[in-house]
Amino acid sequence: MAALLEIQSVTKRYDNLAAVDNVSLELEAGEVFSLLGPSGCGKTTLLRMIAGFETPDSGRILLNGKDITALPPNKRTINTVFQNYALFPHMTVFENVAFGLRMQKKAKPEISIEVDAMLDLMELSDHASKKPNQLSGGQKQRVAIARALVNKPKLLLLDEPLAALDLKLRQRMLIELDAIHDEVGITFLYVTHDQSEAMSLSDRIAVMNHGKFEQMGSPVEIYEAPINSFVAAFIGDTNFLNGKVTAMPNDEFCTVRVPSLGDLLVWKDKDVRVGEELNLSIRPEKLRIARKKPEKPDLLNCIQAVVEDVVYLGSLTKYRLKSGEYTLIVEQQHGHYLLDEKPITWEEIVWVYWHSEDGYMLQSYQQDDESLMALSEDMPDE
Amino acid sequence: MNKPNRYVEWLLSVPTYVWLIVFFVFPTFIILWIGFKPATLNGGIDEGWTLQNYREIFSSNYTPILLRTLSISIWTTVICILIAIPVGYWLARLPARIRYWMLLLVILPFWTNMLIRIFAWKTILHPEGFIKNSLVFLGIVEPNATLLYNEGSILIVLVYTYLPFAILPIYAAAEKFDFGLLDAAADLGARSWEAFLRVFIPGIKLGLITAVLIVFIPALGSYAIPDIMGGSTSEMLGNKIAQRTFTDRNLPQASALASLFAVVVMTPVLVYQIRRSLQ
Amino acid sequence: MRNRPNIPGFIAITVLVFFYLPIFYLVMQSFNEARFGGPWRGFSLQWYALLFDRPEVWRAVRNTLIVALSSTAISTVLGTLAAWCLHHYRSRLQQSHYVLVYAPLVFPDLLMGISLLLLFINLGYPLGLGTVILAHITFCISYVAFVVLGRLQDFDYNLIEASQDLGAGWATIIYRVLLPVMGPGILAGALLALTLSIDDFIITFFVSGPTSATLPLYVFGMMKQGSPTIINALCTLFMLATFSIVIWGQRYLYRR
Repeated sequence: MAALLEIQSVTKRYDNLAAVDNVSLELEAGEVFSLLGPSGCGKTTLLRMIAGFETPDSGRILLNGKDITALPPNKRTINTVFQNYALFPHMTVFENVAFGLRMQKKAKPEISIEVDAMLDLMELSDHASKKPNQLSGGQKQRVAIARALVNKPKLLLLDEPLAALDLKLRQRMLIELDAIHDEVGITFLYVTHDQSEAMSLSDRIAVMNHGKFEQMGSPVEIYEAPINSFVAAFIGDTNFLNGKVTAMPNDEFCTVRVPSLGDLLVWKDKDVRVGEELNLSIRPEKLRIARKKPEKPDLLNCIQAVVEDVVYLGSLTKYRLKSGEYTLIVEQQHGHYLLDEKPITWEEIVWVYWHSEDGYMLQSYQQDDESLMALSEDMPDE
Repeated sequence: MNKPNRYVEWLLSVPTYVWLIVFFVFPTFIILWIGFKPATLNGGIDEGWTLQNYREIFSSNYTPILLRTLSISIWTTVICILIAIPVGYWLARLPARIRYWMLLLVILPFWTNMLIRIFAWKTILHPEGFIKNSLVFLGIVEPNATLLYNEGSILIVLVYTYLPFAILPIYAAAEKFDFGLLDAAADLGARSWEAFLRVFIPGIKLGLITAVLIVFIPALGSYAIPDIMGGSTSEMLGNKIAQRTFTDRNLPQASALASLFAVVVMTPVLVYQIRRSLQ
Repeated sequence: MRNRPNIPGFIAITVLVFFYLPIFYLVMQSFNEARFGGPWRGFSLQWYALLFDRPEVWRAVRNTLIVALSSTAISTVLGTLAAWCLHHYRSRLQQSHYVLVYAPLVFPDLLMGISLLLLFINLGYPLGLGTVILAHITFCISYVAFVVLGRLQDFDYNLIEASQDLGAGWATIIYRVLLPVMGPGILAGALLALTLSIDDFIITFFVSGPTSATLPLYVFGMMKQGSPTIINALCTLFMLATFSIVIWGQRYLYRR
């Protein structure tokens, strides 16, 4: 079966700067696909080209096999949920939702039936005659979704739809979005800079930076096997180690010498040769911490470290450790087997250990580290 | 608030308050009052009360002038608004740097004296002037046609004079307009003119109302433009008021005309504007 | 966006041409040697020379300046006081005060002119520079008040309380805090009043006497009978003066 949406080597430049750089993508009918990346990575530009607000400089966009690259937005069977909802302030909720159907010149009774059904589905029936400024953020969000869905688009584009909501509401809307998708079965293309939104909603995710896809895959693949340091750092926290391959004890593992930490055993998820430099990524929750050295260190890497900081976060505790030249972040869930008689505290010397299969080799990332530094801050896309 | 505060407030408010009562409110009531007074033959105001001034206004003598004033003002307003909407839209969508200069270019004519603007047009439309010559050359008008001293020339200069006043409030509203809404409308299937009419126009509604008022009211009360650009057959209300005041020295008749203008036009406008700005 | 014909842009450019063409034509004609305007006959300053020879021109300029400066001074003080009250107090008095200050802005000049004329006639007050100044003050107050009020919206009243807290008396507060902060707003209001006063024709037309003709009135009189080419020269100089005030004001006020 052909893909619902095909993007074929699309490029868009602004003043010689490629906002979207030779990107290709295929969406299957019914899936939820997320474009994830920091602000300015080109995800919004890509979305606007799919919606028809921008025309690519080169490349083609196909919907159901038909070339829509030059089609204006009003001729596309694609609808968008805009970042700030873009509800028409002078129209009621009903009129907002009815707008698309009116543009299709549908008969009044038909419009009325379809809008009422959609308002019912979105639990907005009580608000039908209100103006947008009388609604709460979550209600506006639902109106924006209803207004797009009532046109029965082949593809629904969602541009940072939850960015304007507070955390609690965002979490609730995520669950609602998931339910809506199950209900209507329309393909969702979801643009966000928030990795947790993308992870919890998507069938597939594309991580984007500098106008290119860094990695595309299921949430598990992206999280567990990030392809490079950008993806690893953008999706969740991670610890980076740099070293050189010194030996190949067997087919599955190699020894990597990390200056100031010593020799570590690493699962060979890539083809490497002795003498090669490489980056390792180890997620904070894969690291374990204890006062005593673990007893069966066969496939475990154990190093000693000093506790610099302890942050109790309720569901887990975050430790910042210093070992050699490295600062390591460890996240530990609480459980009786982990708690020694008294909790680990500042200045203590502890053992950090992880299973050698939990460390991942990364392709070295060419871009300057600026984009990595900016990741930790949650900034909304423009 | 405590007592000394009330006292200071009172003291600071009194100067403008009293000034505007004496020189604005009181004179307005004088017009209303004199409109009901009989005129003396030598240009004075007689004792007693009369409705004669109003009877005369509603007699057939004035009907053409009132109708002409109304129709020229409405046309001026319609033309100004129709031009100002696309210009306001264009200004609001310009990049910020260029926009500042373009805005300055639009406002600058507003600072030329109205008489200068009138005179410039008089020179241009003059029988020897450059538009006339061009039009004759192009064969659009007859060599002996007059471009001056008719309702058309009044209309041109009224539009010329009040267009900047129409553009500014529309631009101000358009600048606050969220142009993302036009994208949303296009996304929902609206063609660009449909989005413009159904989303942009309602979005700048308040600016449009201000623009209509800011053009229509002065146009109704225009004096200098019809006086210089118009002929004897294209007089407007303002000319009549001035003529009754200065030429005929019939102040009661002039007052009645002015009162009519003030009561019929200004009262609803004032009530609307003040209620809106007090909100 | 895709390349569709830019209709608003086309209209806007046409409008700008429409705005400036008459003005350029007038300025050009003022340097035209030809006697009755019309085709270009060569550059000449003769009309300016003729203009400066007329004593009435100088009297009109003098009248204009007297009226503009005195009405600006008084209306700036009154308008600023009004703006302060409107901004600072919330009472029924200020609500009616607001209506009172607002109404002249939407009141047509023609009506204000005739009503003031009737007032002066009824009071038996002789028409002249005095009545013109009174009339100008009346319409300038509202403009000054609203310009200053606009600037006051950004004024932080905590500044005054902070000064009081630091031991300043009212004289010090007004001199050291209020005036410096409100200064640009007051200046903007005064400049607006100055240009409005210099420019006013209709109200002045109604309330001026035989010897109190201001520049616009003089231009009007010349238009009715005088030589068009002298008027071109006069209008060019007049425009130059107003534009200088406006541009200087813009640059001074928005200089950061």
